[in-house]
Amino acid sequence: MSSNNIPALHSRILSVWYRHYLVYTRNLVSNGLPPFLEPLIFLAGVGLGLGKYIVSMDGLPYIQYLASGLLVTSAMYTASFECTFGTFIRLEYEKSYDGMLAAPITANDLILGEILWAGTKGWFFSLAVLIIVSLFGVIPPGASLFAPVIGFLTGIMFAAISLTVTSFVKNINHFNFYMTGVLSPMFFFSGVVFPVKSLPAVLQPVAEFMPLTHVVRLVRALCQGSYQTILLLDMLYVLVVSLIMGIIAVRRLKRLLIV
Amino acid sequence: MNEPVIQIDNVFKSYGSLRAVHDLSLSVPQSTCFGFLGPNGAGKTTMMKMIYGKSLRDHHPESRIRVFGFDPGTQELDIKFLSGVVPQEDNLDDELNVWQNLYVYAKFYGMQKKTIQRRIDELLGFFELSAKTKSKIRELSGGMKRRLVIARALLHTPRLLILDEPTTGLDPQVRHLIWEKLRQLKKEGLTILLTTHYMEEAFQLCDQILIMDKGRKILQGPPAGLLREHIEPFVMEVQDIESAEVARTVELPKHVRRDCSHGRPLFYAASFEAMEPVTRILGHGTYYLRQSNLEDLFLKLTGRALNELQ
Repeated sequence: MSSNNIPALHSRILSVWYRHYLVYTRNLVSNGLPPFLEPLIFLAGVGLGLGKYIVSMDGLPYIQYLASGLLVTSAMYTASFECTFGTFIRLEYEKSYDGMLAAPITANDLILGEILWAGTKGWFFSLAVLIIVSLFGVIPPGASLFAPVIGFLTGIMFAAISLTVTSFVKNINHFNFYMTGVLSPMFFFSGVVFPVKSLPAVLQPVAEFMPLTHVVRLVRALCQGSYQTILLLDMLYVLVVSLIMGIIAVRRLKRLLIV
Repeated sequence: MNEPVIQIDNVFKSYGSLRAVHDLSLSVPQSTCFGFLGPNGAGKTTMMKMIYGKSLRDHHPESRIRVFGFDPGTQELDIKFLSGVVPQEDNLDDELNVWQNLYVYAKFYGMQKKTIQRRIDELLGFFELSAKTKSKIRELSGGMKRRLVIARALLHTPRLLILDEPTTGLDPQVRHLIWEKLRQLKKEGLTILLTTHYMEEAFQLCDQILIMDKGRKILQGPPAGLLREHIEPFVMEVQDIESAEVARTVELPKHVRRDCSHGRPLFYAASFEAMEPVTRILGHGTYYLRQSNLEDLFLKLTGRALNELQ
């Protein structure tokens, strides 16, 4: 015997996504403006300052080099914040998950909905950066139009990683270690600010191990319109890491949600 | 005869070395109200959570939980689709208004927009919240939030309503309103399962109560029947400290039982007359005679001292 009207898996995951969408869009100005403002500030800072000293990097105008990296770092940061602080607050303080899990939603549905929502935010933040840098002619139009897709994948991957981190955290302040100890170094050493090949030889494999390196390479290839075989490996890396970390996140968080 | 809505046999639940529920069995018939009573840490909420799959029971060969015939360990979705849950906390979304809170929750049940609109209107009317439709959550009083959470649990017209301390912290007016609404819902065929610390609430609403302590069932039955069978019908409470000292030394007549609540004696007996030898010594205005209630029974069974979880 079974209740035939139980929503299907995709509906259950989307209903979690919809809840986050509705909550996020209630504060449209405070939530929707920063993704557009940040690249503007960045363009002003780099264009008026740093760009005068560093003209080109890896064959690209430096401002274009940096802007293309920013397309995915914005996705990385928003997904990471969403799935660390956001998830922890919903779990421990707001008790939102208790309410959601009282409805016909499993812990798996809930976690997959979280990941999908973080991917969506990654897409949106990438899109916002793309709109601003395109308006200022920093990145030429073309294949870069697909950059938000890489933003989405970046969001998914960092959501899975961040949820795994969250499953270990007992105190909200512990996220500072992840933010400053993992994400910040990744920002600087993953080819966003300067090429990975400029790193000392001993550190280059470390950079290749970092998830951000691979999405930066993918998005920059799109922006340049220059595709190499290594991109297939980058794509494979993103998919495998998202899958493995996603499975770990689901298994570990489930233990916190269903006690 | 109808199958019980909930059938629980020999259920255990442990958190590490702490045994939260120990060998609990119970049965809840359709369209009745069943209440769990017990001090903090007795295992009431854990038991409730196991019923809708938010918590998993320990593996034990004789353990069995069936809700509408479904096992919450493997068929939680079927159970949750037929049940509404009101958790202890008012976990509403502060960013959304009253209507949006209900709307987003209805989406979890896959309800259609038209049905959602109609149901929200009905429920806001039923819980006297129609004027608050567009209000923000922070503008609501505690009683309004509680009613909204109960309304949220009823959106999909469940057959079982699970309430974890539904009126804790609410003023008597709101509490009585919620009781009245729950009575109406029960009359319409809803089965209700609740935990409460308010003995009056259990007495007013429940057809059956189960008193738990340290994870174990102490007593189960209809409230009036339990009172009749397990405690003397009358009680005398001594009011002031001086009289308490006197009362402590009184030689008790036969069939009068003395209890002590934090230094203050209480006397229980089958009639007021039986306590006359004590009242004569104490004098007027130093004691208070009343009928025994569920709280007296509860304290008799679970003790008056605090445990380590309280």
